[in-house]
Amino acid sequence: MAAVSVNGLRKSYGAVRAVDDVSFDVERGEVFALLGPNGAGKTTTIEILEGFRARDGGTVEVLGVDPGERRTQRWLRDRLGVVLQELAVEPYLTVRQVLTRNAGFYPSPRPVSEVIDLIGLPEKASARVKTLSGGQQRRLDVGLGIVGNPELLILDEPTTGLDPKARRTSWDLIRRLASEGTTVILTTHYMDEAEALADTVAVIARGKIVASGSPASIGGRDSSAATIRFRLPDGAASDKLPVPATVGEGGAVEVRTDEELRTLGALTDWARERDIKLGGLTVTRSSLEDIYLQLTGSEPSRSEGQEAIR
Amino acid sequence: MSASTADRTWRPRGLSDLRLVARQARYEQLNFWRNPVGATFTVGFSVVFLVIAGVSSGSSRVKYLGNIKLIQYYEPAFVAYGIMAACFTMLAISLVNRREAGLLKRLRLSPLPAWALLAAIFLSTLVVALLQVILVLAVGRVAFGVPLPGNVGPLVVTLVIGVLCFTALGMAMSTIVPNADSAGPLIATVFFVLLFLSGLWFPLKSGSALARVSTWFPVRHLIVAVFTPFSPQGGSPWAWHDLGVVAIWGVAGFAVALFRFRWAPLRSGR
Repeated sequence: MAAVSVNGLRKSYGAVRAVDDVSFDVERGEVFALLGPNGAGKTTTIEILEGFRARDGGTVEVLGVDPGERRTQRWLRDRLGVVLQELAVEPYLTVRQVLTRNAGFYPSPRPVSEVIDLIGLPEKASARVKTLSGGQQRRLDVGLGIVGNPELLILDEPTTGLDPKARRTSWDLIRRLASEGTTVILTTHYMDEAEALADTVAVIARGKIVASGSPASIGGRDSSAATIRFRLPDGAASDKLPVPATVGEGGAVEVRTDEELRTLGALTDWARERDIKLGGLTVTRSSLEDIYLQLTGSEPSRSEGQEAIR
Repeated sequence: MSASTADRTWRPRGLSDLRLVARQARYEQLNFWRNPVGATFTVGFSVVFLVIAGVSSGSSRVKYLGNIKLIQYYEPAFVAYGIMAACFTMLAISLVNRREAGLLKRLRLSPLPAWALLAAIFLSTLVVALLQVILVLAVGRVAFGVPLPGNVGPLVVTLVIGVLCFTALGMAMSTIVPNADSAGPLIATVFFVLLFLSGLWFPLKSGSALARVSTWFPVRHLIVAVFTPFSPQGGSPWAWHDLGVVAIWGVAGFAVALFRFRWAPLRSGR
């Protein structure tokens, strides 16, 4: 049975359709990433899953119950862990006090000392929250999300604003929870995060899911054209190449192909016969970022693309 | 499916829920006392004001209040101040700050029921209010020789009504403040202007312009209602009219709080 099942979900704010006929399933034990630019409808969607926001239409089941149903809300919250976009931790309590307090809300919490170890804050356990750095507070925030030992953990942009090292630490933690069987739903606008963590990615733009699938196959990524790049040594005759190619400065060659094995074979045969080295040979497909930019409707050049994502 | 829904339906958890409230109230208290500024400003001020007022008024008397000593007016006035400072100012500012920081939303998404959280916040506020009442009464008795009313019943009832109504008004006020930056200045300004209008610092002459303006607001009425058991005007220790006005404001505040209360930061729009 799916941990989360969403069908035809709709939510409008006035004339703005924030979520417009969204459907997806999240299997138990899966890491599911909802990927999209700011304002795409990610937060609205997960707030509906959390039972925090009412929907206008469609059906939603979370762990088998309707999150909008008041009678089963507490049952659901016993089993749900949530990490919000904004840092939300009481400043005057210590790390251990905050975790102990929240652990007491749940019927079968994870031991507090174990949570403190998991989030890597053992030396800060007795420190007041306000003395922690932003990254440490964020980790405590995640700790509050998992202290109830949730079946389903929902993280809204868990690594936004973290430095690269702290992001890796958070990823390790999420992977570890997933390996223990926790179902994880996360929103992100980082491609690498979705690629590194998610079993399934759904790309949402302007309130609609425009693609979903595994990070490797999403948006026809696995069947799209590949690019072969290498460098010819000085003096090698590039006009005799066996396949159509563009040759740039310094002998840099780029070959676009739909059949990379055949093309690669032709190239290597050609090079071996002539005893030519193909320097720095790489085969790449569209990056998830390329696909994402196509799907979300902004398809600028590479450098502009970086700007648009941030 | 239907059987499992029944299993998952909320049922009161009796004693364990009450324990949850008590436990949460303890953390609310811890959080309050750990914030030195909040604790000092809220709890310390009523006593400091009483001492300043008591020392500076000396043996002055108020002719139009049956010629009582001025301190006999100030003591009940600062009891009322203590209740309003805790239930209105402190509660409203802390609710705005916690809402805007996302703390209320986070607690709302935990299994702690909303009613249990609100009950714990109320209990914690009550402790702070009671503490101030006791401090002011004790300091007034020891330092300035103001006796307690012979019959404390009317005083206790008045304090209970005051706490309930101003808690409701504090919650209502928090729903009107749009962001954390303006919470302190806005709420404190409303509070102190009302206190000034309502004769906290000097007894109002009935019939004066200020007295007439202040009759529209609950602050004046709570001061009079707390004062009356100490110095019964016309023999009765009950200020029914004033308690009635305070109660009406309380009910209105409760209605506003009920309809406007938000768990999520307002800046998130929606």
